Amino acid sequence: MLEYLSFSLIIQLLVNGILFGTMYGIAAIGLSLIFGTMRIIFLAQGTMIIFLAYVCYWIFKLLGIDPYLSLVFVIPLSLLLGAGLYHTLFREAAGLEDKNISLLIAVGLMFLVENLMMVIWTANPRSITTSYTILSFRPMGINVSFTRLMGLFMAVISTACVLLFLKKTLIGMAVRAASENIISATLVGISPHRVNAVAFAIGIGLAGIAGVGLATIYPFDPYFGFIFALKAMISLAIGGIGSVFGALFGGILLGLLESLASFFFSGGWSDALSYAAFLIVLMFKPEGLFVRSIQKV
Amino acid sequence: MENHLLEVRGVDVSYGDVQALWDVSIHVDEGTIVALVGANGSGKTTLLKTISGVIHAEGGEIFFSGKSIAKLKAQEVVDMGISHVPEGRGLFSDLTVLENLKLGAYLPRARPLFAESLERAYSLFPVLQARKGQKAGSLSGGEQQMLAIARAMMAQPNLLMLDEPSLGLSPIFVRTLFELISALNRQKVTLLLVEQNVHQALKIAHQAYVLKIGRIVMAGRGDELLADTEVQKAYIGERWRKR
Repeated sequence: MLEYLSFSLIIQLLVNGILFGTMYGIAAIGLSLIFGTMRIIFLAQGTMIIFLAYVCYWIFKLLGIDPYLSLVFVIPLSLLLGAGLYHTLFREAAGLEDKNISLLIAVGLMFLVENLMMVIWTANPRSITTSYTILSFRPMGINVSFTRLMGLFMAVISTACVLLFLKKTLIGMAVRAASENIISATLVGISPHRVNAVAFAIGIGLAGIAGVGLATIYPFDPYFGFIFALKAMISLAIGGIGSVFGALFGGILLGLLESLASFFFSGGWSDALSYAAFLIVLMFKPEGLFVRSIQKV
Repeated sequence: MENHLLEVRGVDVSYGDVQALWDVSIHVDEGTIVALVGANGSGKTTLLKTISGVIHAEGGEIFFSGKSIAKLKAQEVVDMGISHVPEGRGLFSDLTVLENLKLGAYLPRARPLFAESLERAYSLFPVLQARKGQKAGSLSGGEQQMLAIARAMMAQPNLLMLDEPSLGLSPIFVRTLFELISALNRQKVTLLLVEQNVHQALKIAHQAYVLKIGRIVMAGRGDELLADTEVQKAYIGERWRKR
């Protein structure tokens, strides 16, 4: 196999890794925000991404609306869905000391949505085929597909928007404050429900964007969601909880690792290696690679 | 019933099976400084947390400006006009000084007054203006305490509760801090103060309560308690008595 190895092939693998890794990255940013205020890993994140990919698929199939144009519906829908999920499912449990209850709700939600999707759309993989699905650019002999490039573009834009929101708006600051110290946050008048709902809205909003990105690039089925959530979790562990950039870079690193591993070894090894990377990072740098410092006990 | 700004009446608080406060009653009048003193673990911090709604009492009542607040959540109590600077200051250390101050004025009723409040905070604590872009976690202990008080004041409270504000500060800064508390009081801010620095606290307090393992064991004017030999023996120690 190594005789085929060339400089441009390596670059190709790296480009593929980065392009797909950004999808993990935005899923991980969503996980990070929800973890920040709720203190749970929202395991249903990947399933919500697949669900919103199906929504995009339906808008495309039934209404004939271009998937990128459908973002105009998918983003507001997923923001509302996020806030709605919080207020209906998590509101009561969020106040409890024991976070395992919220985690169980997330697991229950994941299986429910997964099975609903099975009933509605069956287990057959679906994909969106448009005029530009096979379109690609070849700068310097490297193949870059249009849909993947769009995925990267959407990820960068949405990361920038989330960062601006967290940095510049009062409610964004409140989310950051509550992530750091929820008691102090309530003492200045911040309602935990409000920041939790906002974190959920943005988390699921990002899932909507990732869903559209995914639907245009890959065939998907209902069970892909759980794997995706695991990959987002690995990205988060690599990048470090609590850093938006860290989550994105964690996703990109994971994408690179998988792309290289599936070429040099095999697809199966690529998954095994990504879980191994997850454990290795947690063993040696549990705060994540991109978090500058953390108080060690 | 007299018109106290804050009235705590017969409050019982437990952490699980352990009762921390027993039938505690105190009151705070508008425009005064009230000190709560007592040994570690006597329930001072618990009382402040109960008033601010961080924890809730099983028995008793709490009235603020004549309204019952015992059942309110912390974010609702601060909206009623009680700001609580918790022990350890409770700053958002990853956020900048200015962001902390902005969140101090998070309440809808405080937002329109943000510019005014910020000006007042900067005039009281000029160092905060110089450090406004810095992360709160990077400030010195004294500066952090100033920021915590300034942030609490951003909510335009009628009552400011400070939990151990002098903890961990240098002796020089402790003096500045007490001068500052008196200055705030002269600006018509009502204060409820928990202090380990009993001598200083009683010196500036109009009214004071002594807590002992969850019960109020003594109450009186600050100067009365300061002169009381029991209080001196128990909480102030030899070196202060000679003064």
